[in-house]
Amino acid sequence: MGLIARAVEQFGVATTVATWNGDRTWLTRPPRVLFAKTARGSTLGAPGDAAQQRRVIEATLALLERDAPLEPVTLDEA
Amino acid sequence: MTDFTIPILEDQAGWAARYTTGWLKHHQDTGQFDWKLYEKPSNAQPIAGGAVKLSQARVVLISSAGGYLRDSQAPFDAPHPYGDYSIRLVPTGTPLNQIAIAHDHYDHASVDADRQVLLPLRHLEDLAREGVIGSVSPNVINFMGYLPDAARVVDELIPHIIEAVYAEQADAALLVPS
Repeated sequence: MGLIARAVEQFGVATTVATWNGDRTWLTRPPRVLFAKTARGSTLGAPGDAAQQRRVIEATLALLERDAPLEPVTLDEA
Repeated sequence: MTDFTIPILEDQAGWAARYTTGWLKHHQDTGQFDWKLYEKPSNAQPIAGGAVKLSQARVVLISSAGGYLRDSQAPFDAPHPYGDYSIRLVPTGTPLNQIAIAHDHYDHASVDADRQVLLPLRHLEDLAREGVIGSVSPNVINFMGYLPDAARVVDELIPHIIEAVYAEQADAALLVPS
């Protein structure tokens, strides 16, 4: 996803990535990324936990209101 | 094709050569995946970009979960050892039970129980109604995120995605890997 974010950002569209796999994602240097302590296959939160999913999504989207590049932001959601 | 000022993948030619003579050749010769031979794509140079006002932004979702329309689109070629670099556009208003998943490289238990752990279509609609974001783009951009050939990601997948992002007239993109 990091490579795609780099391309879309340079195309002129602001990007933000939510990832459970922060180390791997950060290797490619996406402009904005949120590290969530969620699991592979459920990046945005646990199934059925709409409140948690919303917290992860809103924290990821909030990065769009900041200029890139940003250092990764970690959200303590597990 | 968009001409990028900063490389999407630095030293792409060198990476592609090492991929071809290393991981790929090993699989072609033996039929075995040896991930110790796989060089993870990496960059050093950051990408700059301006902030957006979220409450006025049209947001497009880009998902690597392998989602496609169950009744009208072909699934991704999930079993292919070298990946599938195509995309599927799914209308954002699609009922979640009409979206199928083709991706052989993660456990589907969570996304089968609740599509929104990877494809948050209803959450994005709610966020637009609440004014947190301006709007959601008409379509979600889907691909299957098992893509070992990073050069093909740059040369094949990304042009499809850029074209789709342009068509969606998005101001911002939310990227959700699986």
